[in-house]
Amino acid sequence: MTQNYDAIIVGGGHNGLTCAAYLARAGRKVLVLEQRHVLGGAAVSEEIYPGFTYSVCSYVVSLLRPEVIRELELAKYGLKIHPNDSVFVPMENGDSFTSYADETKARREFGRFSQRDAEMASRFHEVMYKMAFAVKPIIGYVPPNIIKPSLRDLGTLKDLGKHMRGLGKETFHELCKIMVMSADDFLGEYFETDVIRAVHGMSGIIGTMLGVRSPGTAYVLLHHYMGELDGAFTAWGAQQGGTGGVSEAIAGSARNHGAEIRVSAPVAQVIVKNGSAVGVALENGDEFYADTIVSGCDPKVTFRKLVEEKDLPADLVRSIDKFKYRGSSGKVNLALDGLPHFPSLKDPSVLKGAIDICPSVRYIEKAYDDAKYGGFSKRPAMEVVIPSVVDPTMAPQGKHMMSIFVQYAAYDMSEYGNRDQQREAFGNAVIDTLSEFAPNIKDLILHKQVLTPWDLEQQIGLTEGNIFQGELTLDQLFFLRPAAGWADYRTPIRGYWQCGSGTHPGGGITAGPGRLAAREILGGKL
Amino acid sequence: MAQYDVIIIGAGHNGLVTAAYLAQAGRRVLVLEKRDTVGGAAVSEEIFPGFKISSVADGCGYLSAKVRRELKLDARVETVPSDVVAFCPQPDGTQLTIWRDTQRTAEEIARFSKADAEEYPKFVELMSRIADVVGGLMEMTPPDLPEISLRDLLNGAALLGPVRRLGRKRIPDLLRILPMPSADLLNEFFEADAVRGAIGASSVLNITWGPQENGTAYTLLSSWAQSGTGLFRSAGVVKGGMGALTGALADAARGFGAEIRTGASVSEVIVADERATGVRLSSGEEHTAAAVVSNADPRTTFYELLEPHYFDTLFVRQVENIKYRGSAARIHLALSALPEFTALAGGDATAQLSGPIQIAPSLDYVQKAFDCTKYGEYSRYPYLDLLIPTLSDPSLAPAGQHILSITAKYAPYELDAGDWSAHKQSFADVVIDTLAEYAPNIRDVITDRHVLTPPDLESLYGLPEGNPNHGEMTLEQFFHMRPIPSCARYRTPIAGMYICGAGAHPGGGVTGIPGHNAAREILKDSK
Repeated sequence: MTQNYDAIIVGGGHNGLTCAAYLARAGRKVLVLEQRHVLGGAAVSEEIYPGFTYSVCSYVVSLLRPEVIRELELAKYGLKIHPNDSVFVPMENGDSFTSYADETKARREFGRFSQRDAEMASRFHEVMYKMAFAVKPIIGYVPPNIIKPSLRDLGTLKDLGKHMRGLGKETFHELCKIMVMSADDFLGEYFETDVIRAVHGMSGIIGTMLGVRSPGTAYVLLHHYMGELDGAFTAWGAQQGGTGGVSEAIAGSARNHGAEIRVSAPVAQVIVKNGSAVGVALENGDEFYADTIVSGCDPKVTFRKLVEEKDLPADLVRSIDKFKYRGSSGKVNLALDGLPHFPSLKDPSVLKGAIDICPSVRYIEKAYDDAKYGGFSKRPAMEVVIPSVVDPTMAPQGKHMMSIFVQYAAYDMSEYGNRDQQREAFGNAVIDTLSEFAPNIKDLILHKQVLTPWDLEQQIGLTEGNIFQGELTLDQLFFLRPAAGWADYRTPIRGYWQCGSGTHPGGGITAGPGRLAAREILGGKL
Repeated sequence: MAQYDVIIIGAGHNGLVTAAYLAQAGRRVLVLEKRDTVGGAAVSEEIFPGFKISSVADGCGYLSAKVRRELKLDARVETVPSDVVAFCPQPDGTQLTIWRDTQRTAEEIARFSKADAEEYPKFVELMSRIADVVGGLMEMTPPDLPEISLRDLLNGAALLGPVRRLGRKRIPDLLRILPMPSADLLNEFFEADAVRGAIGASSVLNITWGPQENGTAYTLLSSWAQSGTGLFRSAGVVKGGMGALTGALADAARGFGAEIRTGASVSEVIVADERATGVRLSSGEEHTAAAVVSNADPRTTFYELLEPHYFDTLFVRQVENIKYRGSAARIHLALSALPEFTALAGGDATAQLSGPIQIAPSLDYVQKAFDCTKYGEYSRYPYLDLLIPTLSDPSLAPAGQHILSITAKYAPYELDAGDWSAHKQSFADVVIDTLAEYAPNIRDVITDRHVLTPPDLESLYGLPEGNPNHGEMTLEQFFHMRPIPSCARYRTPIAGMYICGAGAHPGGGVTGIPGHNAAREILKDSK
């Protein structure tokens, strides 16, 4: 069976779908091929247990580029975010700290721990806001080729220099620091209260095999701060019907523009003839042809599985083989018979927001040290959300859906036995730890789904279970993501493109890579 | 008229380098040192009777070849290089020796991994090229980023040569490697733990982090750029100890006409009309000068010698935020005989033992040694850097006896368990126990021992928090950010007030480069 398209997208993750939607919108005949039976990649909703919708992997939304929401009219296709207004942190001494989006509430809560921190909070937000704005335009740049810069690349570099000079010295210097510092060192310049540093520090380690005290994590903190921009929504939030709803909205937009989307269609390889990509072959032998093939997969899959080494220059192969993944997080999803009880909870409305198990900086750092040589944290740092509190479609009435994002879980858990034993031990560590803060949790569990980094790799196709399709460290950002000379969404194979989170601006449900790739494919115009 | 053109506070090696350059250029220079000897942290002291010990900085230092040449130091001081760059005994009784000679090292490495032996020359070539660029950066006065002046661009031209030799294709390697963890870099090239540990240890010798932390590839390169061995660290000793080097610097400065006074403790810099005009000693004595240069660390300079109210709040906050964090103890042992390393049993050990000795059998070992510092604990299995200077210079100790000096990591400045004084000797015991696993006779040959914890280094040598570099050599305190952006060009917000110590770019190590760069800027301003 053969059929012809203008463009074929390998992988129906949110970036692949975004790229598809833009190409279809520009009049291209587009086919999206997703290996799983469901769309979304790591941004996916599934009914794993009857009546409950699981946001299987990604569970909150905030970084989604506002221009994508606007241009693809995602609201029309079902994008609906319930904002997440607070982060509740139960502490080991029975007290708790809550970080509120509301300024008055936030000030009061900060002041309960330290008046100085309450005063510093506004300064901190101002600095972060300035820096997020400073970095924002960079998200929109196609990274220049620094080995052989084209005229446009030189222009980009010039713009970048001009932009940096425009920031003013104070912001520029603060930006230099945040790019390389540890989250805790950075936060320590503002806050003295341990739990306040801990909860802010959590954003610096999400998806990263680094501790809050490892240099480089302050940048991850900034990366997560960028969602608080642009007014499309001002904070983190949960998509109505689970995170898969975001992917479905993008798919809806793509379909409306004429894109064809197939699930259960795993691509075995990209067909390359005379140095050009001409089509794809599915695992079942079906072939589809197009001049443009776009991979939404991570760099390892894109360069080392879908195409053959002989079609790539040796330098690139070496760079791709060096690209670091190192999944650091697992996921536990629970169907619950009722709401968990946190004895330290005073304001029940905070269950609408996130619940972070990170009672101290030391707690998070210990969790990291516990897992960094392999295995997982015995007492992990966790971010818990119960989307069913605000979105009744997630679970039957009176029952709840709980999503637990767990740091740290190493890709190699072999010390715990076979895969089933590893999963079991990991799940138990998570639930045992959670029950220290919510003692009734074990009695409420109707069903649990445990995903280790290996499971994320096997099920979703994320190499080593890295949720960003590659670590967000300085040596793998911007013109180095995924490799110098090939950060502009192109590949050495003519007609073969990349659009996944392994390209600039990186991971999270941003749709940034998908959009920028589409713009490049369309010759600079969307 | 002022009594002097320039007064330099502190006769550490950088202060002396600045003094020598300025005096050489005809300036009237006065150096004031509060201790009774010059040298700061680069001194030789008779800690045990008859033993001359390089208490803090050790080996042959990293003194820049340019400084050495321009100040004509070769006639005044002799260094004894060693062929061994690192002797690394392993827990299983084997050993890996890194020699100056690449081929000879590759043969050693082949005993651990054939693949690593093949990679090693390539690794050395790439790192040397990148280190040349880093070395070029070090001799530059950092631009006032994000602004770049024409003069900065002209200064930057010095980098063109090294960048060209590196080659365009490898520029991404430079950019990629600088912010990386040294562990990741070494894992890309090598598979044998022994090889990774041997090279990676140098990346954290002078920094509080473990080799898995981002930014440690830069410290490796920084060490590489200044080592003088073409490899990742220097190897050899100064004849007569570190004090002989700073003594030579002092002689050179005096030779050019500088006046150096010891036992002269400066209590404050006199500021009039937002301009430094001189200094006041704790004796009450005052001296005037057109310019004042501080060799002290930034915190001491801006908080003690000057007063915070001279500066705006941003400046004060930035100084407050400088990270110091000493993390190593110095332990000196007097030995009645050489330690016998299991790995060298049966042969003549003196060749291997005459260079640096490293107990760092793997990157994980070093990283695990580091982990505990985060919780205010000292390492139970410390990473050790040892030197037996008496093998190269027997004059340092009574005949037949030896000195073993150890940099023991990690020992955080603050212990969770309380005061260091209660734990000092137990940490030294841990160090000696660790060493005994590699050299079982060590306890029998120790005749005396002396322990300097980070608080000791602070109180005795004026190194805040015991950090030998006047502030951590991390990327956020690098180049135009060192020590803080508004002082990265050796000038300060107070006219006529300069800094020249390791707190300024390019940082610590007995390189003399901060002192050299500061002198250059002072001369520019006073033309």
